[in-house]
Amino acid sequence: MRNFWIVALLATAVAARSADAAPAADLAGEPTPAGLSAEDQAALSAAAAADQPAVAPPSSGPSPSANPAISLLFGGSAAAFSRPDPPQMGGHDATGSGFNLHYLELFAESNVDPYFHFQTSIAIGQEGVELEEVFADTLALPGNLHVKAGKFLSDFGRANPTHPHVWSFADQPLLLGKFFGPDGNRAVGAQVGWLLPLPWFAEAKLAAQQAENPCCNRSMLGDTPRPVQAADDLQYTGSLRTFAPLSDDWSLFLGASAQLGPNPHVLGLGTQIAGGDLYLRWRPIADPERRSVSLQVEHARRQRDVGGQSLVDQAGYAHVVAKVALRWEVGWRSEWATGVAGDPLDPDWTSLRTRHAAQATFYPSHFARIRLQVSRDMPGWLNEPVYGALLMVESVVGAHGSHGY
Amino acid sequence: MKFLRFVLLAACLATLLPALPAHAARLRVVATVPTLAQLAREVAGADADVEALLAPNQDPHYADAKPSLVIALNRADLLLFNGLDLEVGWLPALVRQARNAKLLPGAAGSFDASRWVQKLRVPASVDRAQGDIHPGGNPHFSWDPRAGAAVAEGLGTALGQLDPEHAAAFRQRGATLAQQLRALAGQERQKFAALTPAQRQVAVYHDSLVYLLDWLGLQQVATIEPRPGIPPDPAHLARVVGQLKAAHVAALLQEEYYPRNASDQVARLTGARLVVLQAGPRDRTDYVSYVRGLAAEIYAVQSSK
Repeated sequence: MRNFWIVALLATAVAARSADAAPAADLAGEPTPAGLSAEDQAALSAAAAADQPAVAPPSSGPSPSANPAISLLFGGSAAAFSRPDPPQMGGHDATGSGFNLHYLELFAESNVDPYFHFQTSIAIGQEGVELEEVFADTLALPGNLHVKAGKFLSDFGRANPTHPHVWSFADQPLLLGKFFGPDGNRAVGAQVGWLLPLPWFAEAKLAAQQAENPCCNRSMLGDTPRPVQAADDLQYTGSLRTFAPLSDDWSLFLGASAQLGPNPHVLGLGTQIAGGDLYLRWRPIADPERRSVSLQVEHARRQRDVGGQSLVDQAGYAHVVAKVALRWEVGWRSEWATGVAGDPLDPDWTSLRTRHAAQATFYPSHFARIRLQVSRDMPGWLNEPVYGALLMVESVVGAHGSHGY
Repeated sequence: MKFLRFVLLAACLATLLPALPAHAARLRVVATVPTLAQLAREVAGADADVEALLAPNQDPHYADAKPSLVIALNRADLLLFNGLDLEVGWLPALVRQARNAKLLPGAAGSFDASRWVQKLRVPASVDRAQGDIHPGGNPHFSWDPRAGAAVAEGLGTALGQLDPEHAAAFRQRGATLAQQLRALAGQERQKFAALTPAQRQVAVYHDSLVYLLDWLGLQQVATIEPRPGIPPDPAHLARVVGQLKAAHVAALLQEEYYPRNASDQVARLTGARLVVLQAGPRDRTDYVSYVRGLAAEIYAVQSSK
């Protein structure tokens, strides 16, 4: 069957070429039916040739194409950990000493028409292919509204809606790993966003998504099947973000998020997660070295009803990342995540776990970075801290869209 | 839970709010870079409000996509942008968040200035190993009065389409400005043509002055960046020093938002003067004066050699 299509395609191509070539053959060959003399025909040929530009006209750019912007993003590392099974939680983290493939993402986006935009991200790992995100969203709905539908990362906090290639550290924050899962929180669903009619930037979003998804919704249904029969069989994420340009050089971005959803132990919306985040950035806009310092803090509290028992835990991180020169960046991150006895998801995690990491990154160009990161992780259930060091290389090729703030 | 209730309540209230007026009394023009904003101000006159998203001393390649800029775009009737991917790192994300159908590609309010300009340095092929090159051609035309003239004319027509009542005034101001700019372009070119060939050689930091040099008939003999967007290494700088010495180059030109350490050293070692150009007009300086000022600054150094 496949051969048939190849032959058919080739035949079509050959036919198309012959059709294109036909008029030229006529002009160069025998006198036309109009009965023109050889001289007249030569004059016509000369006139036609004279009308052709001597050289190709200057191009006004690459040939326009309706293809989506397609890019490939890669991250890999050489790592060393102080134990053979480091308790890393992210699906894109280094999982042990030696060489690690963190991610290969195929990313494509395009406007569909004057009404919709389309975006997808497909992760290709050593174990297989995973559809991370695919959604269509509106370009300009009335009333400052925005609707997105498909499979997408939930807008909870600052880290969750982002992909690893924009992270400032080589591993996923514990907050995401513990509350959402190895790939953060994402699922099939729909979201409405609203830009509030205020003189400053403030945006509210509300999403409803499937609650069952082992990679990404572990505080919800995770891998427990539960058909959607009522509204409380879905997960809901709401957020409100506001931005204050304090001056040309200073900016403050604040957000509050909440997520509600079912868990396997009770009926109804048994899991509630609420969080706040802050992003304070100093970047002198006229600095030729493009220096900047950014502080990002995110904290969330989770409450789960697990059959008569209410489990409450908290997690967060704070990081400072400084772009110290044109090609150099350094950063520090401190993380915390409490534990609770009787937790069916993490039975060993009954006390506070902290992790600290420091990184230094070199950017050879805007399309690549080389990062050295060291970390000290103190899970309460282990007798001694876990130390890690890794050298990570990341690159992006192709046309990759711009990122939000 | 309380928070979710608040969000739901706010959403309900929003639907009750009357729709915001679709058209303000005057057109609202948002330009990405201040040089284009100034051009727009002169074409718009008193018939439109013009604001720039970036500051004049800011590098348009690397602006932050600040959400505050979304608000300006959300309310704009026309977005005037440079194009040729100069703003690709931040503008598309903002336009998508702005939810403004008037600014979408193909809409009357989406004005890509580069479409009006004769492009230079359009690469035959694109490979990232060549550095940060722009596939559609070099985007730094906003200092070339010939390009400015074409953009002013185009803008006059575009504004007229959005506000037919003032169409004649927009077109007239665009045409007048274009005439002034073409006259200026001719005068300055003539002035520079009187320089000796040796005086017409310059070095630059980034490949961002090709239109300016083309206009003034100057020759770029060396570039501090080995490839666009790639900072120089010592070996490359040594070559640049050799090139500048061999050609007896008088001026090393760069915009204020590029690093100066390497340029200072090269200037010191070669005797060339580092001329730091204002990347955009300050304090509402008119476009003609701004561009004339740039040419005068370069001429002073080149002719003193």
